Amino acid sequence: MSTLRLRGGRVFDPASGVDGQVRDLFVRDGRIVDLAPGEAASDEIDLAGCSVMAGGIDMHTHIGGGKVNLARLLLPEMQRSGPNPIALPSNPLELASCSGCTPGTLATGYRYVEMGYTAAFEPAMMACNARHAHMEMGDTPILDHGAYVMLGNDELFLQMLARGEDFQRVRDYVGWTVNAAKAMGVKVVNPGGISAFKFNQRKLDVDENHVHWQVTPRQVVHTLAKALRELGVPHPLHIHGSNLGVAGNIQSTLETIAALEGLPAHLTHVQFHAYGTEGPKKFSSAALQLAEAVNANPNVSIDVGQIMFGQTVTASGDTMRQHAQSGLASPRKWIGADIECEAGCGVVPFRYRDQNFVNALQWAIGLEIFLLVNDPWRVVLTTDHPNGGPFTSYPHLIRLLMDRSFRAEQLAKLHPDVAAHAALNSIKRELTLYEIAIMTRAAPARLLGLKDRGHLGAGAAADIAVYRDDADREAMFTTPAYVFKDGALVAREGRITATPVGGTHFVAPDYDRGIEKTLRKYHAAHGLVNFDQLAIGHDELCSCCNGGRLLPAACFEAAS
Amino acid sequence: MSAHESTASGSAAPWTCPFCPLLCDGFGVATHAADWALVGSDCSRARTALSRFGSGAPSVQTMVDGVACDPDAAIAAAARVIEASRQPLFGGLGTDVAGARALYTLAARTGAICDAAGGAALWHGLHALQDRGAFTTTLAEVRARADLIVCFGALPDERYPEFRRRIGVVGGVADGRSAAQIIVLQPAHATLPAAQTAGSEAAPFDVVPFDGDLFDAAAMLAALVAGRTVGGDAASAPLAALAERLRAARYAVLVYETGRLPAQGALIVEAINRVVATLNQRTRAAALPLGGADGASTVNAVFTWLSGLPLRSRAAPIGLEHEPLRFDAQRLLADHAVDALLWIASYGTEPAPPQTDVPRIVLGHPSFAAAAQGRSTVFIPVSTPGIGSAGHLLRTDGSVMLPLHGVHDDGLPTVADVVKRLTQALQGAAP
Repeated sequence: MSTLRLRGGRVFDPASGVDGQVRDLFVRDGRIVDLAPGEAASDEIDLAGCSVMAGGIDMHTHIGGGKVNLARLLLPEMQRSGPNPIALPSNPLELASCSGCTPGTLATGYRYVEMGYTAAFEPAMMACNARHAHMEMGDTPILDHGAYVMLGNDELFLQMLARGEDFQRVRDYVGWTVNAAKAMGVKVVNPGGISAFKFNQRKLDVDENHVHWQVTPRQVVHTLAKALRELGVPHPLHIHGSNLGVAGNIQSTLETIAALEGLPAHLTHVQFHAYGTEGPKKFSSAALQLAEAVNANPNVSIDVGQIMFGQTVTASGDTMRQHAQSGLASPRKWIGADIECEAGCGVVPFRYRDQNFVNALQWAIGLEIFLLVNDPWRVVLTTDHPNGGPFTSYPHLIRLLMDRSFRAEQLAKLHPDVAAHAALNSIKRELTLYEIAIMTRAAPARLLGLKDRGHLGAGAAADIAVYRDDADREAMFTTPAYVFKDGALVAREGRITATPVGGTHFVAPDYDRGIEKTLRKYHAAHGLVNFDQLAIGHDELCSCCNGGRLLPAACFEAAS
Repeated sequence: MSAHESTASGSAAPWTCPFCPLLCDGFGVATHAADWALVGSDCSRARTALSRFGSGAPSVQTMVDGVACDPDAAIAAAARVIEASRQPLFGGLGTDVAGARALYTLAARTGAICDAAGGAALWHGLHALQDRGAFTTTLAEVRARADLIVCFGALPDERYPEFRRRIGVVGGVADGRSAAQIIVLQPAHATLPAAQTAGSEAAPFDVVPFDGDLFDAAAMLAALVAGRTVGGDAASAPLAALAERLRAARYAVLVYETGRLPAQGALIVEAINRVVATLNQRTRAAALPLGGADGASTVNAVFTWLSGLPLRSRAAPIGLEHEPLRFDAQRLLADHAVDALLWIASYGTEPAPPQTDVPRIVLGHPSFAAAAQGRSTVFIPVSTPGIGSAGHLLRTDGSVMLPLHGVHDDGLPTVADVVKRLTQALQGAAP
């Protein structure tokens, strides 16, 4: 049996408290193992001068499903390399696929892996289109993947809340949906707001009633968070809050945290939800308020949704807010949809400009949040790809967080009011490699309940990224020397060396199947897809995901 | 057994009709008699499609140049055709997700141009989308919410017999609410088919006539909805009244059939999308395109997610090119701009393989055997997704991917099987 020794690298494995100590790692049968006394490795790679981390895990990136594909359809002009078509890959292992802000799934897999990432999670899967999301993820090579199914804007859920239905039945409905869609968790987007927009409501505050169902986002958030807690789903409710992008929305964000009443939850792309109304332009950073709230509420984790300057496209389920912002589309075109009494979608191309006051401040706010939250285990590094910027900008973002003088240089180039007055100017913190390892692998694994990922202890999957040490952290994190996926070398010096099919993470919480009778009746009465078509079985999931391995994550003992 | 396993196998699997992009899953098919029958629907489109199965399906073999041969020989012959080609064209594209996945790999390796049989219709919607975007809705939303439905050009009943039942306006009342008012915007000279005028079961509908063509009517409607005055003569009065009704509606739905649009139909779609955008400033509205049959929109979606670009693209030596005007299959064949054709038509409802003097490989429903007899033609009969094999298709509204279930064993390989073998044969031949 062959055993590979990765010798002499500086290991950053926060799950075990290993902070840059020089150690050997041993890999056998796709796992990290301890070597028995006297046992020898059959192969060896010398990693002197390298930093070794678990494979990166992106827990919020729009890589699969209907709206990402709509973005691709909308923007063929982005799939160019200047005046030329995007060149074909020189690597015979790769199939032609465009990169850029709306990459094809093939390029998505290649580019993530070349950066040392080995798993990515689609945050906005619709139950009615779950197969499509799983297919796109299955066609994203090498990366393991999973998705959060969206609830909280579906008419049935809102109707159950409005009727004051027994909580247990709502919980069972949530449990059924997670199982049927083969999801890793549940996301709520603008709680109640996507549905409200269908009834022509244009704004919905946390304590405002949905114009038709007369329920509030507060009720929606609390009910879903409680349901997931009781179902024992490891990843708590994933929340895209109310009033995304609106000046003064920090109020909504703080109210959303309060609505949890201590229940665990993950607030996503919080940069877009941390705006105040101070200053002459009535738009200011509320990063400090947000960070204080996160610091004070250990039940809450966040990912940032950092923006990066340049062209991208925003793809969101939040039809209400995307419609409101569609006037800012660049180029001037956008796609929206109301979907199956369940969800919505809005795709708005956007160019973030460094000389635009609002964009420059958004950039500063994101960095402030990273640097002001004390506990890195509750902060995950994201750009909300592609909404804040493409995931390929992560190495640049890492350098901004780790290198204060580089950060100051970049800040100085921005809109003068932001450059002069941003609170970011006075923040001295520089994140360490250990903290980066937490925010990009250990924390997301823990927040998702992935026991054998995101760390390098014995028994973990051998998903490993090896970076050649370089004072320029952007260069260091752009091109790892080696990337291993389940023990196989998949990238070497930025070149793909193997393209295995990734696995699918999902959870299967228990619930009372009595709820199915209600669902069957509801679907028939509303002309929805035949109830018997909804649930995706294991075999079908496997075919959707291109034959990748199924990776069920364990639920915890329900704490009701 | 865990809850999710039992859910999936809870009762007899439903049937998803693969023969139109509404993908109805509320009725079934009886296969025990020689002539297959629909159960629970009288959809003429599904019935016609089913007549090609059961006793209606010819028993055919793989053929090279009209001569029966074994499948291995056919694959080898097909591989030779592709290998000898400097610019192959993959046309028809009547397949499902699995077929499309396999085809993309082959297309990327051979630099083939890919265009669906319904490529022109697909392009109307895509062109308008790429110009200005769109706001669309789905069948269940229409059923739940629409109070006004405007059909552009004609009632969809002819090509989509189940349409009105699917959106819940058959019988006048649905779900305890008033059914939506249906309006048909059609040329003043057009007459309504008898079945449509009788309307015994169907909800009543109004006809709004227009003079001239649909380009003018849609553009005028867009202007009127935006509050501008148009013409001012009596001819535009019905359109002005329609604009008023649209502005007064709570949730208006604008329905159009991409396959019915004339050349340059994107201009009509663009006007429809403009009406929707204007209405959404104050009330709610959305478009509902009907189209993308025979796998066209599904294959388009799969190619788009894999490569980042929709159909009418190719992996050319200089890079990935999307050339929707140049890469029109009909034009390429007419101009002899391609030197091999791989034609995929697994549903039997597609157009027959084009007669052309470039070498052809046809992966088709058995009923296409007669049209694939000629010289320089390889014919491989393939299984029909949703009849002989399982599969997946995207519904007309683009937001629901549904599973297809086989109802009998046709003993034929799927498109994906054949294309994978073909790709392997080519790789085997590579230096």
